[in-house]
Amino acid sequence: MASASATYEIKNEHGEVINTSTGLSNKKLLMWAFLGSDVMFFGSFIATYLVYRNRSLVGPYPADILEIPITSVSTFVLLMSSLAMVLALSYIQQGRQKLGTFWIFSVVVLGAIFLMFQVYEFNHFAHLGLTPRTNLFGTTFFILTGLHGAHVTLGVLWLMFLGFGSLKGTLRKDNAIDLELAGLYWHFVDIVWIVIFTVIYLISARDVAPPGSPPFVGH
Amino acid sequence: MANFWNKLLYHDGRGWWDLPRTQWQDPNPQMEGPFGDGITPIKKAWDFITAASYHHGTPLFYVVIGVILSIITIVEVWAFNWLFLGGLLIPLMLVLSLGKFVLVVGFFMHLKFDRKYYAWIFTACMVIGIGIFVALLLLLEFAHQVQQ
Repeated sequence: MASASATYEIKNEHGEVINTSTGLSNKKLLMWAFLGSDVMFFGSFIATYLVYRNRSLVGPYPADILEIPITSVSTFVLLMSSLAMVLALSYIQQGRQKLGTFWIFSVVVLGAIFLMFQVYEFNHFAHLGLTPRTNLFGTTFFILTGLHGAHVTLGVLWLMFLGFGSLKGTLRKDNAIDLELAGLYWHFVDIVWIVIFTVIYLISARDVAPPGSPPFVGH
Repeated sequence: MANFWNKLLYHDGRGWWDLPRTQWQDPNPQMEGPFGDGITPIKKAWDFITAASYHHGTPLFYVVIGVILSIITIVEVWAFNWLFLGGLLIPLMLVLSLGKFVLVVGFFMHLKFDRKYYAWIFTACMVIGIGIFVALLLLLEFAHQVQQ
């Protein structure tokens, strides 16, 4: 007797053979469920940042250290990496292997540049006196952006493996679903940064010392 | 005579009598509605912009989306320095950010082109995530008030 949870193989519109129990790709379904859980994960940390916004009793405060021009450039880099990612998937699905490989490695390079910006920023803030233990702003800022950075690092490593796979020919048109999953993850990391950039950098960049707290005089 | 009764009692499931068919007699004529057929060119333009008839966008289409995302980011950073916006800054930033979010999720993540089931999963999780977000904000806000 056939089981209701039986897995069978079907071909999607790109000719890829996918395993399914529901008519949808099992792998893709799992990835979307994971991304859904990650929405709740980041939602909690963004809410925590907002709850503790303007509640630091000592400096430095956001207005003292956040540098919008630098972060705008890193945001642009991450957005362009998302574009490179979607182009990579499009070319691999078309069977244009060399172009696909080029764009996969472009994503890796752009992701690495974004991470370098983050390392520079963390280092710079530490020199200005802001660490995770300095005040509530430091704690919530470093946890939120640090967790995002960890996601980006994982994505860069994943795409590096896929890039070498594409070079060796193990990632092809018929198993491009693996690249699509990495792409979903990468775009998700991008949309999380879109929210973080807006909430931390654009909305609270002018936050100064709350009433009753001493202004930051620097180190 | 039989022909007369046939015509008089004609019914094809849509209406009585064998009258000449017009598009107004369709169950949901396209030109029906408050804007008549004025909405049709807008819908066509929207379908063209969103590549509604394709399973995936073309590379050029994705480049156009990338350019739009870049422009929105530039506007965000530019608007950040408009001090006259005052209290409007936050709503403006949230709207621009939402626009970027929708573009990336809809087109780069292919939700616009893919099976609707994925969109439902993600939307359901977004609703729960926003619920957690709002609950945390309210909970901790009231917790601070109790402490004071």
